[in-house]
Amino acid sequence: MSKTEPLEMQIRFAGSGGQGLILSARILAAALAGEGRFVAQSQAYEPTSRGGLSRSDLVISEREVDYPLVTALDVAVILDQVAVPACAGLLGRQTLTIIDAGKVTAPPEEPQTIHALPITETARALGNPRVANITALGALAELAGLIAPQTLRARMLKLVPARFRDINAEAFDAGQALAKAAEKV
Amino acid sequence: MNEIKVTSADEFDIRDWLRTDLMPHFMCPGCGHGIALRALLWACHELGIGKDRLAVVSGIGCSGRTGAYIDANTFHTTHGRPLAFATGLKLARPDLTVIVISGDGDSLAIGGNHLIHACRRNLDMTLVLLNNEVYGMTGGQVSPTTSAERFTTTTPAGNMEPVFDACKLAEGAGASFVGREATLQTPALKDLFKAAIAHKGFSLTEVISDCTEIFGRKNALGSSPEMVLKQKKVMIPAHTDNRVPEPFKPHPFETGVFVRQERPEYGEVYEALRARVREKGK
Amino acid sequence: MSTLQNIQGNAACAAGAIAAGCRFYAGYPITPSSEIAEQMAARLPKVGGTFIQMEDELGSMAATVGASLGGVKAMTATSGPGFSLKQENLGYAAMTETPCVIVNVMRGGPSTGLPTRPAQADIMQARWGTHGDHPIIVLAPHTVREIFEETIRAFNLAEALRVPVVVLYDETIGHLVETVDLTPPQPEDIVTRTFASGPAEDYLPYAAGEDMIPAFPRPGDGYRTHTTGLTHDERGFPTQDPQKVDAFMKRLLGKLERHAKMIEKTESVEVDDAQVLIVTMGTPARAAKTAIRQLRDEGIRAGLLRPVTLWPFPEAALRAAAKGKRAVLVPEMNAGQLILEVQRVLGGAAPVSGLNVFNGEPIAPQQIAQAVKELVK
Repeated sequence: MSKTEPLEMQIRFAGSGGQGLILSARILAAALAGEGRFVAQSQAYEPTSRGGLSRSDLVISEREVDYPLVTALDVAVILDQVAVPACAGLLGRQTLTIIDAGKVTAPPEEPQTIHALPITETARALGNPRVANITALGALAELAGLIAPQTLRARMLKLVPARFRDINAEAFDAGQALAKAAEKV
Repeated sequence: MNEIKVTSADEFDIRDWLRTDLMPHFMCPGCGHGIALRALLWACHELGIGKDRLAVVSGIGCSGRTGAYIDANTFHTTHGRPLAFATGLKLARPDLTVIVISGDGDSLAIGGNHLIHACRRNLDMTLVLLNNEVYGMTGGQVSPTTSAERFTTTTPAGNMEPVFDACKLAEGAGASFVGREATLQTPALKDLFKAAIAHKGFSLTEVISDCTEIFGRKNALGSSPEMVLKQKKVMIPAHTDNRVPEPFKPHPFETGVFVRQERPEYGEVYEALRARVREKGK
Repeated sequence: MSTLQNIQGNAACAAGAIAAGCRFYAGYPITPSSEIAEQMAARLPKVGGTFIQMEDELGSMAATVGASLGGVKAMTATSGPGFSLKQENLGYAAMTETPCVIVNVMRGGPSTGLPTRPAQADIMQARWGTHGDHPIIVLAPHTVREIFEETIRAFNLAEALRVPVVVLYDETIGHLVETVDLTPPQPEDIVTRTFASGPAEDYLPYAAGEDMIPAFPRPGDGYRTHTTGLTHDERGFPTQDPQKVDAFMKRLLGKLERHAKMIEKTESVEVDDAQVLIVTMGTPARAAKTAIRQLRDEGIRAGLLRPVTLWPFPEAALRAAAKGKRAVLVPEMNAGQLILEVQRVLGGAAPVSGLNVFNGEPIAPQQIAQAVKELVK
């Protein structure tokens, strides 16, 4: 798919409900806005909030975003198998794709490069599988080159509840470390 | 409790309160609504309410047209909605005395939902519910308060539906002041209005009015004086302590104040919320 | 210094309302507009205003108009099914010339339809929803920033012209979070209705001067006027006198035309040299902008005319923009409503075709690009 807006980037966080992916998208969006970039963030609003598919999308631009919904992803973060079909038609050869190695059993076929990382497993080892969303954010910061990881990390610490700050900091760092060490599939 | 001091009727001249240039009025000869209007304005007079600060909100029907004759801020709204309009008006302008004039069809049928929630909220306003058992403006159809077996244009074989007791409904919904009077006891009706208006919170005053021209004629109830005298025969004042227990067999001629209790008034509760929110924001 | 922030469309609507001076909100929960009510519930008491969740949609519209009758700027918000219920008292606001703002965040219909999916099928209802000939203004923002700006403009127009104003946008933008500069308007950019002043004797509440807008009598100011949904004369009292009815209706229906310049607002993108003119609003207009860039990369010249004020419809702007175009395309998330108006205005001056999506999915840039390509074949 041709991209006539070279400065525009499209990102999707997808997984199952309750994984905290909407928070990941919100943190990234806040950090990017803090850098003076324009973000359009959308998500599926369904009556169910646990289990099932959950996704949040970002379109990022240097100016006000025109079409605010994703049409061809530059980056996809997929944390559950349930989300793989939902990304069909949006992934291309060039889509930088990060998947949870433990939860995505049949990765999408389109992307040339897939980073399969033990995201939830790492979060669980830190003591709380619910920080997988922040681990994924750390990995994304390292791999996507969208924003300086330290800037994103600082914004994240401002947006998570105070009592979870330490574990989220560890989760972010662990995600970054995973990405650095990752072998490409 | 608000003290009620009855003064001489002589001091009250209804012409001071009416838009006399709108006369003659639209009401049929013998209609009880005019008597209720007189009692209401007499009550306002005795309470010393300034006409500039008086807001009268009414709905649709014969009751709804009554408000236009009052020389105050009058709002003739849509069918069944006057309580909802009045809720917005009173919240936006707590400095106004808000009186709602509505009918049995307006308040108990199409506007029933607004009525029960107005009772529940307890915002400071007074509902004057003119109950004449019929939709008069539209030509005499059955209403939620039409007595059993009465003839109306939509009950040609007699009414088969049970009736609403507006006062019991209001009490059940939490109204902090509930009372009923008939037009034939005008001074008592005036006193009921006075107590209701002076009461801080939502007050429902049901007025047993009479529709001579349409309802009376259809049911061979005689002339207006005859209709009113028939009411008198069956009237049970509150002090006889003889309330009918069955909800769907109300006795409309049981009169008096049925509920009078102190409950937090909605406007004051909201003002306290504003103060709390502001304090928190400091 | 940048005041950029990420904010949801519905939250921007609430922020705009507060900035415009709205101090009363009555609402009833309905997807996808409930966030507006939630925001107003939190914001209004902080600025001395009042929020109330009413017992139903009818009551929330009535309370909104009731508050405005008291002289306070008031708003309500809803979505399709609730918008249907609000029509009764929206008509009362139009008839009594009571300023108020009604937000309709459009979802799929008819009936309960698709509560969480976007649609634009209330375009005609927003214009003709209540019974009888009546004036109404409908604004159609297409970004979160514009929701903020147009909500402020909605209050300004409502107050200046004593007319209900509908802010109409689809679920996609309502729930979209965007980076926006929400610089509050300057005090001189906020309009408040003209209140009646001067002696109360011989005062006529519905008598208007050249501008056709009567001054508003605030209760308590000594005018003691009558407000009714019945057709009324200059005194405010019911009349059936054909001459008075005629004069009243002509003023009521004519006042928006008198102030057309204040009301009209469109956006044009690359219209001048375009072969194909796209006419659309809301999210599809954003798809059109992306499509226009893609098409121009391929040498196909398309342009966009977007009504920001949807009603009264920008007839002259459309006629000018369509002049000499090979074709006009009207993409919309419904079975064909905006196109009816476009066809009526152009009257055959250019061939008009539609691109209609009503399956709950937004219209994507590729779909518009494809439709334009078909038209220039």
